[in-house]
Amino acid sequence: MTHLPFVAISYALAFVVLVGFGLGAWLRAMAATKRLAAIDPRRERSGA
Amino acid sequence: MTRMDTHPIEAPATAPSAGGTSLHRFANPGRFLRLSGAVLPWLTAAAVALTVAGLGWGLLLAPTDWQQGDAARIMYVHVPSAWLASAGYFSLALASLFSLVWRHPLADLAAVEIGPVGAGFTALCLATGSLWGKPMWGAWWVWDARLTSVLVLLFLYLGHIVLVRAFDDPVRGYRSGAVLALIGVVNLPIIKFSVEWWNTLHQPASIKFTEAPSIAPGMLWPLLIAAIGFSLSFAAIVTARLRAAVMERRIRGLLLARAVSR
Amino acid sequence: MTRKSRRLTIVAVCGLCLSAAAGLVLTAFNDNLVFFVSPSDIGKTAGNGRTVRLGGLVEPGSVTRGDKTSAATSFRITDGANSVPVTYNGILPDLFREGQGIVALGALRPDGTFQASEVLAKHDETYMPKEVAEALKKSGQWKPESGAPPPVNKARGG
Repeated sequence: MTHLPFVAISYALAFVVLVGFGLGAWLRAMAATKRLAAIDPRRERSGA
Repeated sequence: MTRMDTHPIEAPATAPSAGGTSLHRFANPGRFLRLSGAVLPWLTAAAVALTVAGLGWGLLLAPTDWQQGDAARIMYVHVPSAWLASAGYFSLALASLFSLVWRHPLADLAAVEIGPVGAGFTALCLATGSLWGKPMWGAWWVWDARLTSVLVLLFLYLGHIVLVRAFDDPVRGYRSGAVLALIGVVNLPIIKFSVEWWNTLHQPASIKFTEAPSIAPGMLWPLLIAAIGFSLSFAAIVTARLRAAVMERRIRGLLLARAVSR
Repeated sequence: MTRKSRRLTIVAVCGLCLSAAAGLVLTAFNDNLVFFVSPSDIGKTAGNGRTVRLGGLVEPGSVTRGDKTSAATSFRITDGANSVPVTYNGILPDLFREGQGIVALGALRPDGTFQASEVLAKHDETYMPKEVAEALKKSGQWKPESGAPPPVNKARGG
């Protein structure tokens, strides 16, 4: 009575959701930091 | 009152209205960027470590359940995502309250950024619940009070995501989204108590199954660690998105100021 | 300050009205929010062959599995006070066994038996390793056919 496919898909979904959102947020923040650093007159306050 | 959306460079810590000084100090986006920038790497490291530890323990080391066998391992994903679906909605409602009552500019953005993440965790909760229900209950989905109220939660998230972006004037979007989010709070106690108020297929039931909620320690620890890991992951993802949103708004403001001055 | 407290008051009043409305609606629809009825209540709701869900425990010793002549499984669902005979023609979930909580979808026939078209297993919120369950059974603290196990943590302490 093992249901390993169900377990495997559940953990895979958790991986997809967590890594997907995490990576998406990180890339977005990186892009914004770069963009801001390029145009911000106050360099020292541009975050990070 | 100066809207941050049109203000090219935020004034440092000077609150525009009397009485709001203490709150608007924390609304200063520059301070938020510096604070969150210092915290985020640590938060991310802790989130990754605890999530991997909790899920790894649950998947590989935790004992097999006497009744459900290995299928009970879905619990270590399902239960933390369910908690975060509700807790995330609570944080969305809190941000909406600050946005609506105190016109807190960071709260506006926080509500916008929490929505999709909360919807993602709710979808994960529903999907893993379905994957658990099929082998154990014998059905992918049943319309009992618990499952239905969590589905309503997902629709509240989706409605908020759409509504908050539906207006040309972002401020109108923030206000409408905040009203929707606050109305939806009524669903949270329904989710929590649905399994106690009504007979549901979802455990625990009201009749004859009533025992003190009990999980053997060897299964409780990985569950708690996974739950803390999911909470920190949620916080880290929202913080990173919020940082991006603050910087994007500043970029828009700077570009606008540049266009005007030309 | 005044505008803020006014907004806060408006939010609070709206919240109160909304909770009251929600509470009334939920109370009004209480019967429809119930996923299943117990054997004691089925007489009230399941007249005239109406399709309902019947929930309870599989009565120990009542299960007759289908054989080659007829595939039907018959057993009784009990809530401790009353029990209803059930017949079912189909694949039972893995968790189905004596003493297990189940929910059956079907209708009450004139002869008083419940003809089920779908049987779902319901498990409680007790999770423990197989060894602990075996130990509990061995020590006589828990007989699986007589219902849910005792709380794990209490059992371990005792």
